[in-house]
Amino acid sequence: MTPAAASSPSPAGRAALPTPYYNWRLVAFRPGLFVVHSVFAILFFVFQVLPGLIEKQVFDSITGAVPAQVNLWLLIALYVGVELARLLSAVGADWFGWTFRFATGAMLRRNAVASLLHWRGSRSGAGAPALAPGEIVNRLRDDVNETADFPTWFPDLIGQVGAAIIAVAIMASINLSLTLVIFLPLLGTLLVTGLTWDRMRAYSYASGQAADAATGFLGEVFGAAQAVKIANAEAGVAARFAHLNEARRQASARYQMLRALSDAINAATVTFGVGVLLLLARQAITAGTFTVGDFTLFIYYLGFTTHIPGYLGNFAGDYRAQAVSIERLAELVRPDPVTALVAHHPVYVEQAPPRPAPIVKTPADSLEVLEVDGLTYRYPGSERGLHGVSLRVRRGEFVVITGRIGSGKSTFVRVLLGLLRAQRGSVRWNGQLVTDPAEFFIPPRCAYTSQVPRLFSETLRENILLGLPEDLADLPGALRAAVLETDVARLERGLDTVVGPRGVRLSGGQAQRAAAARMFVREPELFVFDDLSSALDVDTEHQLWERLDRRRQAAGARGACLVVSHRRPALRRADRIVLLKDGRMEGIGRLDDLLAASAEMRALWHAGEAPDGRDRQAG
Amino acid sequence: MNPNAYARLLDRYLRPQLKRMLWLALLLFTGIGLQLASPRVIRYFLDTTQSNGSRPALLWAAVLFIVFALAQQLLGLGSAYLSLLVGWDATNRLRYDLALHCLRLDLGFHKTHTPGELIERLDGDVTALANFFSQFVLRIAGNGLLVLGILALLFLEDVRIGLGLAAYIALTLAILAAVQRLAASRWAAARQASAGLYGYVEERLSGAEDLRAAGALPYALYRLLLLLRAELHEYRAAHTLSAAVFNFTNVLSVLGYAVGLGFGAYLYTRGEASIGAAYMIVAYVGMLASPLQALREQARDLQQTAASVERIQALFALRPLVVDPPAPTGRPLLPAGPLSVGLDGVTFRYDDGDAAAGGAFALENVACSIAPGRVLGVLGRTGSGKTTLTRLLFRLYDPTAGAIRLSGADLRAVPLAELRARVGMVTQDVQLFQATLCDNLTFFSPRPPGSQADMEAALQALGLWDWARSLPQGLDTPLGAGGQGLSAGEAQRLAFARVFLKDPGLVILDEASSRLDPASEARLERAVDQLLAGRTAIIIAHRLRTVQRADDILILEEGRVVEYGPRLALAADPASRFAHLLQTGLEVTLA
Repeated sequence: MTPAAASSPSPAGRAALPTPYYNWRLVAFRPGLFVVHSVFAILFFVFQVLPGLIEKQVFDSITGAVPAQVNLWLLIALYVGVELARLLSAVGADWFGWTFRFATGAMLRRNAVASLLHWRGSRSGAGAPALAPGEIVNRLRDDVNETADFPTWFPDLIGQVGAAIIAVAIMASINLSLTLVIFLPLLGTLLVTGLTWDRMRAYSYASGQAADAATGFLGEVFGAAQAVKIANAEAGVAARFAHLNEARRQASARYQMLRALSDAINAATVTFGVGVLLLLARQAITAGTFTVGDFTLFIYYLGFTTHIPGYLGNFAGDYRAQAVSIERLAELVRPDPVTALVAHHPVYVEQAPPRPAPIVKTPADSLEVLEVDGLTYRYPGSERGLHGVSLRVRRGEFVVITGRIGSGKSTFVRVLLGLLRAQRGSVRWNGQLVTDPAEFFIPPRCAYTSQVPRLFSETLRENILLGLPEDLADLPGALRAAVLETDVARLERGLDTVVGPRGVRLSGGQAQRAAAARMFVREPELFVFDDLSSALDVDTEHQLWERLDRRRQAAGARGACLVVSHRRPALRRADRIVLLKDGRMEGIGRLDDLLAASAEMRALWHAGEAPDGRDRQAG
Repeated sequence: MNPNAYARLLDRYLRPQLKRMLWLALLLFTGIGLQLASPRVIRYFLDTTQSNGSRPALLWAAVLFIVFALAQQLLGLGSAYLSLLVGWDATNRLRYDLALHCLRLDLGFHKTHTPGELIERLDGDVTALANFFSQFVLRIAGNGLLVLGILALLFLEDVRIGLGLAAYIALTLAILAAVQRLAASRWAAARQASAGLYGYVEERLSGAEDLRAAGALPYALYRLLLLLRAELHEYRAAHTLSAAVFNFTNVLSVLGYAVGLGFGAYLYTRGEASIGAAYMIVAYVGMLASPLQALREQARDLQQTAASVERIQALFALRPLVVDPPAPTGRPLLPAGPLSVGLDGVTFRYDDGDAAAGGAFALENVACSIAPGRVLGVLGRTGSGKTTLTRLLFRLYDPTAGAIRLSGADLRAVPLAELRARVGMVTQDVQLFQATLCDNLTFFSPRPPGSQADMEAALQALGLWDWARSLPQGLDTPLGAGGQGLSAGEAQRLAFARVFLKDPGLVILDEASSRLDPASEARLERAVDQLLAGRTAIIIAHRLRTVQRADDILILEEGRVVEYGPRLALAADPASRFAHLLQTGLEVTLA
């Protein structure tokens, strides 16, 4: 047993995804959208300097400081024209910007989910993040929102800083000393901002973690609603949620207040600049070297140029926060290389994505013999696991793996299928070495049903087919083989019944048989059952094995079964039984041989006997 | 959108924070006053400069300006802090209330909503309300006041410009109100698309192994791309509509500013206003943009909020069909010790649409009684109604007809908390949380004194104590998500430990040991013995061996009782179904 100490991922760890590279990959994903957005955004900000100049002209011409070159009303019309042009730029920047950030966001989400499904679907122990689905949903939502739009901030930055530089240049050309006096203190604030960066980043990370914890908990709780209700634990669970939210409040408030403080320091410096301007401008105005128009221009420009340090501070803060979010997203693709997060897989914005091609079985896929040799796996930090297990499954055979709890039955199946990575040993399919079992043991070669199969909140048909084109699949046959046909007939909407989240609207046995039907409809060469029978009654289980057998016979004795079970019907049916004890092979052979040779087998067999001793006589 | 819904939310979640709200109001309104004063200071400055006024007066003007501005920053910081407190306190309380409310809703609700969707509705929607709580009223009031203040000052300056601006403001707000309604529905659609997307993702992540095993990963990604595309379209539409509103009002404010500039210049050239007054008019008109924009932003937030409020209200509006009766005064209804169980013509049909039972009766006229301390074994094929029966015993549903009594008390009269404290169940699917072992055992209930010893005893009885002690932090060791790292057997025994701790008067074992191998199961038998000692029990199993310890046997078929009687008598009667089942069941097993 390994307690999940891994639930606190640290910011340090493997190679991070550098923020510039990350942003570059986003930009390169939709360069056209980005460029058009950028042009509009930069125009929008740079045009900010024009209204100030017009206002100066207005005041200078009415006070007579400079001779009126242009008619007052023409100036005002010009002002309106400039502002309308800016608005048009804003509209363009918005549309293209939104499309860009949603397209890149879709790419990030798609990549993260692809890696998550891949690694959670296989080798779950091999470095994939140990996060509850709720936490992952939180990251996919918030951290993608936090980062996907970040590239669109760069043209904003260029535009704002560009406008500020132009404005400062104009101001300096009007009165250099005044400009210097106003802007020098701003340098100090830049320094302050820089000093808070690291703290900002740490706070932001903590805030994200706290949010993860709360949403992760929520997901778990709603996934276990019935258990919570019958345990009478609604109040306790809600209190725990409140507790997690309180921690989240503190973490978030700390981060946001640091930001607000940094903003306020910046703004205060700005104000100080304006005050100084007031003090010093008087002399210049009375001396005639500074007009009222100049004064209004200074005030107007100060309105946006002095936002720059605060803006840069925010930008730096967001940049830092982005690094945190990138890290949190990069964790999701683990153990894929971090670059998998920003791989340019297509996402579909305007037209619909193409349906994946159906799986086609080739002659090379058909099973002659599966050879497993010396399979070894040890759970991290424990002696438990699997030690050198070998077996052979030939076409048409029914092989059972049995043993006590903890003997390694499920571990064997999981290692064989690549759900856990074997530390030693080999697997051969028709003599060919299987190098990546997780990729290999899938339909059309192999299908697998776990102890607790999952269904999804879709129709029963969709749950069984999972994208398999219905005209290519023998759905009625699979239903029959899975002993599900009468259940389906009794459902009001038959196969179109929506089975609810995780299939909760079906009984346990129905869900298990639906999972079996999902397996059968794919007509694999190798069926692997990890205790499929645990939710089935005696009759149903018997029927299921019979029908599966008939189905395989009908298909020309193709296909083989590898079944984890400790139940008698399976043991009796077996062509071969692999008996495991403490992760080692205790014996292999037919039931009678094992019963004769192995005390462990006898113990298991007799522990499984039925009431009234009838079983022993029958056996 | 019903304004009452907002009022109720504000009343419920802000009233407890009245004092903070008052402080927040004070800070905001003082800030507005200072904002209004600043252009007047500049006007004074310009006019005094133009008329070559005294130096100290100008110095004071500059100092005053700086003081005002710094004070504004401090006020801003203070109100940001208070807003955060108010927003978080209100939303956290709302999150708590919603979570509790949803948990208390009927099981049927949970069968139709994915955890991912509920996360989005409980957390996503509530987060969208943070701003609404902390700022909405104050910002509307504050910015409204600022607009009125500017208007009043301009009226004082010149009636014509005051009138013109009043018309302009009225027009802007009217247009805003009209378009806001339009955009709200788009935001609702966008949020629904998000909920659909995250519901899908959460479920697929939980079932990743099954997807892989079925070779359905490419298909799962294909569906994801479809959902991402739908989300993109909804959000882009919503944002575009909001941006259209934003830009349209921007055009209005540009025109307003142009008029202000022209008018100020016009008054000055006609000698009707000083240069300072002309500047002040322009400054005030310019200043209008910011509160109007703030009002506009609030309106936009309100659009987004409206969608969330609607969805939150829709959740709150759901009422459980299973009504919790008021706790009776005096003694509890259920006596201490083992409970008797009486089923009296119990008939039940799932009402949640196209449920598994497909509109047929899940249970029909089921009657039986169990004396205190006796054990009833329930047999039946999958789908015969066994699981439904256990759900009714916990009052997860109420019978459509008939009644269930525990020690004589109709379940509908027993407070749910009392009922569920006195009935315990072990199911096959053990739910574990990413929390400490202790929290997993107690289901997060506060630990009463002495509970440590109880827990130790429970774990010891199940042979888990050595394991628990070997954990790095003992009982306080966190377990992984979904019970990661625990074997099915360990998880199962933890489930037993939970029931041990609860010390119920009625225990239900629903296929409790079916996932264990025979050897481990034998070890569990002792624990079951202990658990059943001095308690009434109902054991539900597919397998005959599991019901050996039953005193009575009840066989269900398609929701009806087809046989009911003492186990030994039934076993001895060759005509009984039970005897037949023992025989054929075993024959099948051993065939």
